[in-house]
Amino acid sequence: MLARVANNLFWMGRYIERAEHVARYLNVNYFSSLDAPNELSQSRQFVLQSMLFMADDFSRTENELNEQEVLYDIALNPDRAYSIINYVKLARENANSARDLISTELYESINKFYHFVLNYSVENFTQRGLYDFTVQVTENVSILRGKIRGTLLHDKVYAIIMLGVNIERATQIIRIINSKYKDAVLAQGSYGDTLKNSYEWTTLLKCAESYDMMRRFYRKTPTSFTTLEFLILNPDCPRSVINSLNQVCEHIKVLSHEKYPSKTSSEFLIGKVRAKYQFKIIEEIESDLQTFIQNILDDLNSIALKLENEYFNY
Amino acid sequence: MKEHSKPTFESYNRDPKLYDEIFDENDNVRNIYATLFDLYSEHSAKDFARLNDKAKASFFNQGITFQVYGDHEVKEKIFPFDLFPRIIDPQEWQVIENGVLQRSKALNHFLWDVYHEKNIIKEGIVPLELISSSANYLDQMNGFDPPGGIYNHISGTDLIKHSDGQYYVLEDNIRCPSGVSYVICNRTALKRALFGVFNHYKTHTVTNYAENLLEILETVKPKGVDIPNCVVITPGIYNSAYYEHSYLAKAMGVELVEGRDLFVENDFVYMKTITGPEKVDVIYRRIDDQFLDPLEFKPDSALGVPGLMAAYKQGNVCLVNAPGTGVADDKAIYTYMPEIIKYYLDEEPILNNVPTYHCSRPDELKYVLENISELVIKPVDEAGGYGISIGNRLTKEEIEEVKETVKASPRKYIAQPIMSLSVHPTYIEENESFEPRHVDLRTFTLLGDQKEFVLKGGLTRVALRKGNLIVNSSQGGGSKDTWVLKNNQ
Repeated sequence: MLARVANNLFWMGRYIERAEHVARYLNVNYFSSLDAPNELSQSRQFVLQSMLFMADDFSRTENELNEQEVLYDIALNPDRAYSIINYVKLARENANSARDLISTELYESINKFYHFVLNYSVENFTQRGLYDFTVQVTENVSILRGKIRGTLLHDKVYAIIMLGVNIERATQIIRIINSKYKDAVLAQGSYGDTLKNSYEWTTLLKCAESYDMMRRFYRKTPTSFTTLEFLILNPDCPRSVINSLNQVCEHIKVLSHEKYPSKTSSEFLIGKVRAKYQFKIIEEIESDLQTFIQNILDDLNSIALKLENEYFNY
Repeated sequence: MKEHSKPTFESYNRDPKLYDEIFDENDNVRNIYATLFDLYSEHSAKDFARLNDKAKASFFNQGITFQVYGDHEVKEKIFPFDLFPRIIDPQEWQVIENGVLQRSKALNHFLWDVYHEKNIIKEGIVPLELISSSANYLDQMNGFDPPGGIYNHISGTDLIKHSDGQYYVLEDNIRCPSGVSYVICNRTALKRALFGVFNHYKTHTVTNYAENLLEILETVKPKGVDIPNCVVITPGIYNSAYYEHSYLAKAMGVELVEGRDLFVENDFVYMKTITGPEKVDVIYRRIDDQFLDPLEFKPDSALGVPGLMAAYKQGNVCLVNAPGTGVADDKAIYTYMPEIIKYYLDEEPILNNVPTYHCSRPDELKYVLENISELVIKPVDEAGGYGISIGNRLTKEEIEEVKETVKASPRKYIAQPIMSLSVHPTYIEENESFEPRHVDLRTFTLLGDQKEFVLKGGLTRVALRKGNLIVNSSQGGGSKDTWVLKNNQ
């Protein structure tokens, strides 16, 4: 496989995954705020701030955010690098340059998805379509996951896409945790609750589509402790960071056949990072979540850079 | 319940001056179309509107599109596809097949000669200035023996049927002829929309093109290579034919590369893969000569590969088609095709050439200037239907303008009688009915070392605008599925 095309497939996987997480973040935060138990969480400004934080936009200085503008920027504004429409466009562009390697079925689904987003009426979206649009984006991504899994050869092409998907998924989960942790800190005590059992933990789990399974696993109302443990360390939770790292470990083996991978290889680094989190306990994480978040984002980034150097940068 | 709307062929007005592919001069349906006509007549115009929409959506979703650049945005458009297929009977096809193969072989001999002994020029059959003044003649190819002795591995021959019911060749395209992917897409789309009609006609498949192309590529592998590594090179995803490039690579199961994916070391070509360099032996190139190698041609081109020509000339890689084939698909060379065929193959041309006047010859120039209103004036080196003036469509002022342009550089122009392309029933969206529109036919011929192949089918291009004679997709043309019937109907 060409190095350039491998890079494109990697990023196709990343952008597909990213679009979904952003869409779900918009959806869950907006709709859970409508009947949130405390005033701050219910405040529209609070939600919009949180969305911009998640999107990495710190450029706004105005006191009063305009709801329609923020929603438009994050979902459909082609001039914002972080908008869903841009992610989908980039996913399709990357798919385009690997069109000879992926299945017709996968390409057709990406293409349809792109045209769906491209033709979505902005007016409809900002006034009535938030729910419909974000749900359709997440469903389209599920279709893409199905086509990737079900119509491609499970060879190097598949491995590279899955490396992108899983590195992005872990990154997005951490970013969502970061965002909601900040919200939980801000909202604490506003109706007599504490950081530990904030309403924001429920929202966080829903943002990761993991609320129901978390309740099944713990049979208790989510707390900061159980939520973080579930989303970071539970290997059976399909959205957990460790689950993603396990998959990254599995897929890198398709690309590299070394029995003893060299110290400078991606495989070695991936194994090392995985081992670090595999044997973490939640108490270590919870005591200083901010540092943990920074460290793991750095680790994920170093894996991506290593892959780029080893496989994509000829 | 069947919807009752106007019959599908109600507004079909046959023009007695033109050759109509499905109705004869007495307005009877020609035999070969009889069954199809009956089948289509069972559908209402509304049915066709619906099928037409479905076919369009299918092309659009598959991303079989090209881009149109507007003021603010880039729009994606599909190449219009028509639901009424063109049918060619086996005897008629055999003539076409033999004819286009004959032309491709003659052109291959001609190219060898032009880049070696130049006998045809020495014997005064083709004038030297046609070659020496051609922008497509490549000095680099002089004296070079391409692998297998093949120059035009892939030829696209454009044919029309004139009002006399005879086929005429309009052009031989032997640089990078495109369109074959649409032959295959059109078949798929028609099968999806109206699969029932295939039960009544035994039609040759067109999906065997890619496997034959791969075999052809493999026959021209460099010396000493056992199993050659073939690739398709494309200018990239923004090229209007990118879909075709990716389709061909996928269908052959070979890598689709861009110039930046390849590099040359010690006159060998390698591609940059995730596991390191991998040697490339045969390159089906879909970029023009001038962009192949910045060291030899346009120095600022980023599409090609530095050193590629040197590797080619060392015989370490094969380029398909060979560089420099453009010298033979020039519209001025076209006019010598009957002589070229006789000279190299000692055969009579099987397919007609359109009589042509060379503006470079004073007496013919005089005739052209005096009879512009009955002629088509074509620049010899433009593709895509650009720069063509059709005499009977010009105003007096325009005729004067054309005269001046031709007089200014006569070598650049040829003139031909206005050929009346045959018409074929074509679904017209605005009117929700079938109407006659002009069509041509592009065939695809492959030449390899000890192997040849003509795709049994082709791209029937149709001019969607009423009365328009130019069928190129860049000028708003559409296309039709083309059936070559098997012998045992």
